Amino acid sequence: MRITDRRFALYLMTPAALFLAVFVAYPLFRLVADSFFKISPIVGGPRDFVGLDNYVRAFTDEAFIGAGWRTLAYTLVVVTLEFALGLGMALLFTTLGNKSQIWRTVFLYPLMIAPIVAGLLWKFLMIDNFGLIGTLLTQIGILHNPNQIGWLSDPGIVLFSVAIPDIWLTTSFMCLVLFAGLQNIPGDLIEAARLDGARSASLLFRIILPLLRPVIAVALVVRGIDAARAFDTILIQTNGGPQSASETMSLLIYRTMIRFGDPGLASAMGTLYLLAMLGIAFVAVATIWRPGKDN
Amino acid sequence: MSIAHKETTMETRITTTTAARPTAVTSPGGGPRRGVNREGLEAGKRSTRTILWILLAASLVLYGFPFVYLLLTSFKTPIDTIAVPPTILPKEWTVVNYMNALGRGGVVASIINSVQTAVISTLLSLLLAVPAAYGITRYKTLSGRVFIMAALVTRMVPPVAIGIPLASMMASVGMSDTPIALAIAHTTISLPLSIWLMSSFFEAVPRDLEEAATVDGCSRLGALWRVVVPVVSGGIAVTAIFAFLASWNEFLFALLMTAIRSQTTPVVIANFQTQFGLDWGSMTALAAVYSIPVILLTLLLQRKIVAGMTLGAVKG
Repeated sequence: MRITDRRFALYLMTPAALFLAVFVAYPLFRLVADSFFKISPIVGGPRDFVGLDNYVRAFTDEAFIGAGWRTLAYTLVVVTLEFALGLGMALLFTTLGNKSQIWRTVFLYPLMIAPIVAGLLWKFLMIDNFGLIGTLLTQIGILHNPNQIGWLSDPGIVLFSVAIPDIWLTTSFMCLVLFAGLQNIPGDLIEAARLDGARSASLLFRIILPLLRPVIAVALVVRGIDAARAFDTILIQTNGGPQSASETMSLLIYRTMIRFGDPGLASAMGTLYLLAMLGIAFVAVATIWRPGKDN
Repeated sequence: MSIAHKETTMETRITTTTAARPTAVTSPGGGPRRGVNREGLEAGKRSTRTILWILLAASLVLYGFPFVYLLLTSFKTPIDTIAVPPTILPKEWTVVNYMNALGRGGVVASIINSVQTAVISTLLSLLLAVPAAYGITRYKTLSGRVFIMAALVTRMVPPVAIGIPLASMMASVGMSDTPIALAIAHTTISLPLSIWLMSSFFEAVPRDLEEAATVDGCSRLGALWRVVVPVVSGGIAVTAIFAFLASWNEFLFALLMTAIRSQTTPVVIANFQTQFGLDWGSMTALAAVYSIPVILLTLLLQRKIVAGMTLGAVKG
């Protein structure tokens, strides 16, 4: 007896689907369910249904609102800088052609480094007193003394400082993806535009970027999602401090769950966080990608 | 969008086993286009090219410097690492940091745990992703389309949201603090990515290939295993590397789901900071030990990896 193709395809997908259902969907269901309860952090402790109380507490919690804005700002900073730097490098590699191939490979190496190591490394570079960056900037005369900028201790700038390792780690990824996109742009199109007297800037903004739109959309969304979930690099650099100035949503949820022992509230925060991510991702895909409008 | 590898001719795809590796993505589609593209965006004037090379050299030095500094620091004496002002080169070269880091209790065990967890997670990921991706790409059914969308949505789930429920699930079946439990958690990250990547690789395999096999009396499963899998072995290798790296470098699940017994090295590196004060020397040494093997491995396999990364993202 021969099963139909459709059924065969279903059988092939079943193990993976079951895995995701058990280990992603079910924990997510537990998360959402927990968000309606007040839960004691002690194992086997009381568990009282409180309705939307945790959500009300989240929205009236300054820490939650603050972390929301900081996560948004952090994501925008990371993705914007990465995109600008990645595009710059991709254009550089493209204009240099095949001879730059080996350097393209070298440029990839941070992608293999653990975020925790990257965070640690940059903390070491930016730390007060024995951080190398402050010292080097002083030696070339930009700063008066090595501690003039408190990269990781000044609440006003710390959110940007903790973003640096993330940018350093994944600019390579942006560059790689944009480079691949650039290779797919037909050369005669560029030629034609040049013959029409297009200057480099208008070539970039009028021809190259519009053609790269689908690639840019995917790259920005993929990286935006990752940046919004950033945890390792921030935890090891500042642990959210000073004065919570670098506390993003992942860190807040982690602390609410583990340190403050309030799983119910943490679950409500986690649920809202996930909903926000889904919403923003869909809007981003719809506006940047504009499927169907291929021009 | 149009993907260049679709344009590669069928013969090249069939004749070599690594044909499914879409190197064509990194180089433009066909032979003739490459020439045109070169004239298109490549800089022509010699002076311009010189300036661009200098720019590239400067960027690479800046970009590469942080890790080089990490390596140099790991060879300084412990006191030198926190000297004010810091120096770039060690005043005195020593491996004492490496001795300290590796001699510390639990460090070597954590590296073994990392290897175990990453290997289990990679195998699990491939075992689930290869058939699923094949089912999605070969038989374009509605369930397949729904499934790949669902797999992409799981990418958005923040690990911090499911880490705790996962940990308590593992505890309830007596698997808490084991490499297998952590490997399962890591697979929730790598599986969607693996399905995505493998789908792209299967997409490049011509349908006639397994149709010929089934005509010759192979079952569909037999055709997949004996004909298609060998053709996409390059793609499977790429996917394996990504799954391995995802687990090797993961921190948050490892933090939430392991205690002493199955702790992986990223957690140990992070713990250096709190447990032993600020021992920068040992931290940099362990970070170097942990990072260098994967950097070397990936540089060795770079062509495949570049292809995989580009494909995963460009494909969308």
